[in-house]
Amino acid sequence: MGKLYDLLLQDIRFEEGLNACMNCGVCTAICPAAEFYKYDPREIVDTIQTKDEEKTEALLKSETIWYCGQCMSCKTRCPRGNTPALVIMALRTLSQKLGYFTDSEKGRQQFAIKRTVGENILKYGYCVPTYAVDPKMHPEQGPIWEHIFNNIDDVMDRLGGNLKKKGSGALREIHQKNLDELDKIFEVTGGYKLYGEIENYSEKKAGEMGLEFKKEGIDNEYFRHVYTCNSDNHGK
Amino acid sequence: MGKKVVVIGGGITGMEASVQLSALGYSVTVLEKESQLGGHLNDWTVLFPNLRKGNEIVSFLEHGLELQEVNVIYNSKISGIKKINKHYEIVLDNQKQIIADAILVATGFDLFDAHRKEEFGYGIYENVITSYDLEKIFAEKGEIKTPSGINPKRIGFIHCVGSRDEKVNNHYCSNVCCVTGVKQAMELKTLIPDAEIFNFYMDMRMFDTHFEELYLESQKKYGINFIRGRLSEANETIDKRIILKVEDTLTSRPLKMTVDLLVLLVGMEPSKGTKEIAKLLNLKMRESGFLKPEDDHTLSNVSNMPGVFFAGTCSGPMSIKYTFTDARAAVTKINCYLKEYELQHRILLN
Amino acid sequence: MKDEGKKQIWKDYQKDIADDHYYYVRSCIRQSFFPASEEFFLRLLKDDLGKDVFDDPNHTTCTGIGYHSDIVSFETIMTVVARHFSMMKESGYKNIIISCVTSFGIYTEIIETWKHFPEVLAKTRENLFKATGREFDIPENMAHASDIIYKFKDEIAQKAKYRLVNPITGKPLNIVEHIGCHYSKMFPKYGVGGAEFPEVLAGMIDAWGGKVIDYPERRHCCGFGFRQYLVQANRGYSIANSKKKFDSMEPYKPDLILANCPGCTMFMDKWQYTISEMEGKTYGENQQGIPVLTYEELAGLVMGYNPWDLGLQYHQIQSEPLLHKLGIEFSIEDKYKTRDGRQMPIPECPANINY
Repeated sequence: MGKLYDLLLQDIRFEEGLNACMNCGVCTAICPAAEFYKYDPREIVDTIQTKDEEKTEALLKSETIWYCGQCMSCKTRCPRGNTPALVIMALRTLSQKLGYFTDSEKGRQQFAIKRTVGENILKYGYCVPTYAVDPKMHPEQGPIWEHIFNNIDDVMDRLGGNLKKKGSGALREIHQKNLDELDKIFEVTGGYKLYGEIENYSEKKAGEMGLEFKKEGIDNEYFRHVYTCNSDNHGK
Repeated sequence: MGKKVVVIGGGITGMEASVQLSALGYSVTVLEKESQLGGHLNDWTVLFPNLRKGNEIVSFLEHGLELQEVNVIYNSKISGIKKINKHYEIVLDNQKQIIADAILVATGFDLFDAHRKEEFGYGIYENVITSYDLEKIFAEKGEIKTPSGINPKRIGFIHCVGSRDEKVNNHYCSNVCCVTGVKQAMELKTLIPDAEIFNFYMDMRMFDTHFEELYLESQKKYGINFIRGRLSEANETIDKRIILKVEDTLTSRPLKMTVDLLVLLVGMEPSKGTKEIAKLLNLKMRESGFLKPEDDHTLSNVSNMPGVFFAGTCSGPMSIKYTFTDARAAVTKINCYLKEYELQHRILLN
Repeated sequence: MKDEGKKQIWKDYQKDIADDHYYYVRSCIRQSFFPASEEFFLRLLKDDLGKDVFDDPNHTTCTGIGYHSDIVSFETIMTVVARHFSMMKESGYKNIIISCVTSFGIYTEIIETWKHFPEVLAKTRENLFKATGREFDIPENMAHASDIIYKFKDEIAQKAKYRLVNPITGKPLNIVEHIGCHYSKMFPKYGVGGAEFPEVLAGMIDAWGGKVIDYPERRHCCGFGFRQYLVQANRGYSIANSKKKFDSMEPYKPDLILANCPGCTMFMDKWQYTISEMEGKTYGENQQGIPVLTYEELAGLVMGYNPWDLGLQYHQIQSEPLLHKLGIEFSIEDKYKTRDGRQMPIPECPANINY
């Protein structure tokens, strides 16, 4: 019995997600990630249930655990009531706690997510408000999005929004007292601790990789690197 | 006048047991809910593992009934059972009362209702059928066509439909589907020699005499393909073919295959009648709903109610061969009980 | 395809949906990308159906996108959701409507977790109290916003100005529906019609006269994949999944894609543009793309709301061909006007999509 397995067991999602796997493959058969990546949720669950310390550590440091798209289709299907996607979440959480996530290209991306969505949540009270989805970082959103982004006040007004204003309505300003409560929740539930771990391990990795790192924002080499780097070595 | 035994259910178990009980001198009454005896066997044309005809078995059983005096009450429905001292009083819907010194429950199984595996599309996609439906197609003896009317060139068999599946609350293995899949694949291949046939399985459980040989023969002689992976979902194409999504787990690759006909190998569930009788008699059931004997090794066929015995597929999935064996074993137990042999009182030491 | 088979399944998955007095929680993506859908929804409930619904300015994001991209822990999100329940209690409501499918999935996951692990519920109560001094009750009734439209689909049909039928040919429109993975794949019982053949959108399409089209990749994910889209390097995953769906539905010639989840609506709209740029391949009739609508937009259209007030001009795939097919009257001059009637700049046309 491995220590890592014990740590995983502390995650309620791990307990919910892993019963016993009989390797039938229904999860992999409909897994969107299995179709495009070198990814097989069945194998991951099978590896984990061996409780082998070395193999678990290798997984925590691997690209593999970052391929899942969290669609949860595996939960609908498993004849043993497992949910590989929940097992993945527990693995990812542990990988971040232990700092193993910076060992992989896909894992390092957690820093980019923290600096974008993570900051949005606390700053605005939204994960992805219109004004934070910059067309420069989202060229795939096309010309309409650029138009909306550039004319956000008029567009939101026409569509009945309440952009950055007091009161209710779409994209209203979230009142400071509510942001303060959110802040407290992050403090009490370890939300900040997790952010801090992602930051610290990322800074360390940036140093090892010789990339510029800044304490805030997205204008630094390390952010740009993890946000765009694709070794193209992930597909089948 | 011999003691009276009532056999509930006139399938293989009920028929064989009543013949044997009658031969031992008991007065036997079979209560059959249908208008004919034979149960599910009437719907099965050819049997594994030796491909003999199903109706040969039915006539064997019927011949037994002719030789022995067995009273059969057809279309009977039991409305109540009362225990009075050492015997039972069975009341039928028509108010008729029957006294029994012993009861043999032989209420059998129901086929798993494939509609419940919603993602396989049975009842929604025309060309998805069950192993039971396929037997009926075999029985018609015509040219094999899919329900949408084409000659199938590629056919998929799905193992474990309704078995080994927490999602439908059936954790057990139904024992007979693997070999049925092999048997039906061979039959189809014989009828459509240029068809490609794929069996999708999790484990090939070919445990009984000649099963493994049949599996081997299906591969060597018939060219049936076996892919280790459970069907995740089936979808219909625009021309009504069926797309299968599985993982070929031996090569760790998701696999998509389009077939003209999909056959779901449906498993066994405790029959509705089994559940009803269990309730009327307060019989112990397993989590699966099959009847539970007093001891799995030493007291099979013996229920928790004195004088009530059971045999056949009401106690769990089993093939015809074991159903016969189990029926005869139950007869021995009933005989011991009615003759009050000392053997009855053997105890387990622990 | 035998519809009776689907209807049989639907009978097993009819959830209770409250009739009135709702507490509404918004969706990050819906209000950012389809703000008019949320506004229409509230107007429909209040003005057209005379229901009581509270649009509480004090709730925040549920943090769901952060949760599924693993930068927010389960403990944190449970407490944020508990805070929403607390505000609902404070405002005197017991029935919650959730505008986002990701949130809806999270709410169901949390409530199921609390059922199976009471100690986790206790810990969440403790966390929320410690952080905010708040207490909460679990909602008596929980609905996704589409469940509500589903519930009132027949009332909407009665008030409808248009049907999902081409008035010239008399034929119903071919509509594919996309339910969004987190609506019922995790817990089929929470979704109208279950997980495999969900009824929630199909029921609307039926009630309003359209024809539901099934296609082989109907259940497949749109490809959002959270981190798979959020990080630029991973977006190949995201677009490849959408493409797989478009290729699979193409032979059925859909007039419209109706989507349940705001993220799916956005991706299936935008990726058609990206695919047209990357591969020169444009889906839909006359290379015009296949319009992707929210259920609010579709309800608004059949009820005769101005398509530009519903925000259809802000989809990448434009909806004029669809409006023509439905015989819906609209003013082209009004399309890019501000609320007070000023002309706005006209967005650039993509090279490979016919407008």
